[in-house]
Amino acid sequence: MTRRSLLIFAALLLVALGLAFYALQLKRRVARDEQLAAQQQLAMPPPVNGPPTAVTLYIASDSEGILRRTEANVVLPSERTERARAVLRALFGQYLQTPSAHPIGAGTDIRDVYLLADDTAVVDTNAAFADAHPSGVLAEELTVASLVVTLNANDSKIQRVKILVNGQERETLAGHADLRRFYLASNLGQVAKDLQ
Amino acid sequence: MPLSRRVSRLFLVSFAAVTTTLVIALLLRLSAVQAQSAPQNQLTVYSPQTTYSVPLVEIKGQQYFGLVELLEPLGSVDARADGKKYKLRFTPPGDRPQEAQFADGKEKAKIRGKDFKLPGNFALQNGRGYLPIAAISDLLSRLTTQETQFHPAARRLFIGNVPERFTLGIFKDKASRLFIGFPSAVNPSIATEPGHVRFTFRHEPVVSPGLDSVKFDDPLITGATFSEHDGLAELDVVGTAPLMASFADGGKTIIVAAAPPPPPPVAQEAPAPQVPAQTQPSPPQARQPAVPRLLVLIDPAHGGGDIGAAITPSLPEKEVVLALARRVQRELNNRGIAAGLMRNSDVAISLDQRAVSANAARPALYIALHAANTGRGVHVFTSLLPAENVSAQGFLPWDTAQAAFLDLSGAAAGSVAAELEARKLPNATLVAPLRPMNNIAAPAFAVEIAPPGEKVDEIASPAYQEQVAQSIAAGIAAVRGKLPQVRP
Repeated sequence: MTRRSLLIFAALLLVALGLAFYALQLKRRVARDEQLAAQQQLAMPPPVNGPPTAVTLYIASDSEGILRRTEANVVLPSERTERARAVLRALFGQYLQTPSAHPIGAGTDIRDVYLLADDTAVVDTNAAFADAHPSGVLAEELTVASLVVTLNANDSKIQRVKILVNGQERETLAGHADLRRFYLASNLGQVAKDLQ
Repeated sequence: MPLSRRVSRLFLVSFAAVTTTLVIALLLRLSAVQAQSAPQNQLTVYSPQTTYSVPLVEIKGQQYFGLVELLEPLGSVDARADGKKYKLRFTPPGDRPQEAQFADGKEKAKIRGKDFKLPGNFALQNGRGYLPIAAISDLLSRLTTQETQFHPAARRLFIGNVPERFTLGIFKDKASRLFIGFPSAVNPSIATEPGHVRFTFRHEPVVSPGLDSVKFDDPLITGATFSEHDGLAELDVVGTAPLMASFADGGKTIIVAAAPPPPPPVAQEAPAPQVPAQTQPSPPQARQPAVPRLLVLIDPAHGGGDIGAAITPSLPEKEVVLALARRVQRELNNRGIAAGLMRNSDVAISLDQRAVSANAARPALYIALHAANTGRGVHVFTSLLPAENVSAQGFLPWDTAQAAFLDLSGAAAGSVAAELEARKLPNATLVAPLRPMNNIAAPAFAVEIAPPGEKVDEIASPAYQEQVAQSIAAGIAAVRGKLPQVRP
């Protein structure tokens, strides 16, 4: 090989190394996104045995702009946070039906519910809850109010609720409803009355 | 040629080809990213009613503007695409409707029943009509019957008798001072650097006084240069020493003078002195006491990349609320109430920025406008914060600033709801956890409009929006006596 060929080869090798580094970064980013998506896939809920229990759900209706109090029968686990999660899954189940009076994003689910100081529930939703939620002041308020009031109706000790998305705090649900605050059940209970 | 050398050359050529392709792909990707983040081209429009900006789009290498975006702030617009045809009905305030018709890919158009040849083809994209920018003066002259001036290089358009020429005069007393006079008050942004004071006029229709560059026979202020570009005007005053600017005559006069010398250095042992704040020189004539004003700040939600709700696949919330905001502003002005817009073009503003800007403007009332394709009619929202007996004076907590104004917010929202009811528009008044309402240190409410009936696209119909705008303005006018008036 001539000296000139060697120089060209060295330059091209450098470019190739740069591109390889870039490809590696892309691969890592894809892997990270896939891992995140995998984390969002919820584990199957633990098998629950026992008779169904009547729970109270506050179901939203977009066309009427109201919350309607209804009852549903759900098999509830004995553990308190699992019970709260099961109630909220029953609520979201109503919204995920087709057709729905208050559609929410496909794939919406509750990742977990944590209880703090007995009266505060932290509800961790998956990314689809916020990313795919229909945008609108009323639509988002109905979702937040139905979630908080339903939790309080089935566990009266829960007085404050914080909603997380994928384990993180979000500024808003879908551009409107504030998700940075703790919601008071008493406050939203009044909203639910106004909306009935 | 030996075999090893041939193989080596073949390897090099293949390697070069593959690498070059990859490098080109990488460069294309990078340039695409840069193009996405490049600032949007905009046209600034100055009219007797308002100043606003219109985004420009590039179609087949030419700059085009959206017809609705241009005309909506100037009057009522009803536009619809029918196949390849595009029909437009524009009604200036207090005037008769004017009609125009265009066809996609054609230069021929009809305006007010007369044939009109466009300087380029009309373009129809996603149901929206676009015209080449060269057609803007002729189009507006025909539709508004007002004289228009277009400065294409600067992307500035003047409708009617709005251009304002300024005057320059050097006064030599103890020290030289340059007086810049304007027909009405101005509020430019000012940048200073050694030997220069630069005024940037974004909202004022300031134009050249005749000469773009003036030289002064003065040892301190040696000249001034006027220029227009990117939808704004700039005046650069040049001096031989640091200069500073002050306002007089209620903002109609700017005085440029030598900046005061910096204070002498203070010895470290000496006690720290109270350094007086650098003050602007007093104006040549006594200021009149500021008149209390009542300003309503209208905040059309979303903008830029944040489109809000997709009302229909081609109608984002950000466009619906901007059109409504302009109508509300016009209706308020018709009732003698000053109204400003948080945004008058398609720009992104964060929720915190909105609250900061609103609080800095100290409005008598803040209105956030939203739109949704769910539900029916109009919802008026006040903050979900619990009422607190706190004073509206002094510092307020950021997260609960609105709590001090809930009574007035409720009164204004109730008044608007009553006007909606009077016009038989379906409505409801609610509280909502809506951002950034809790951070607003003024009476505030939000309005979310939904379609009036079954058809979702009726949300953008001029008749419906006009009724909503009139209700909002009439509701505010009814409680104007209760709203706080502030001194500017």
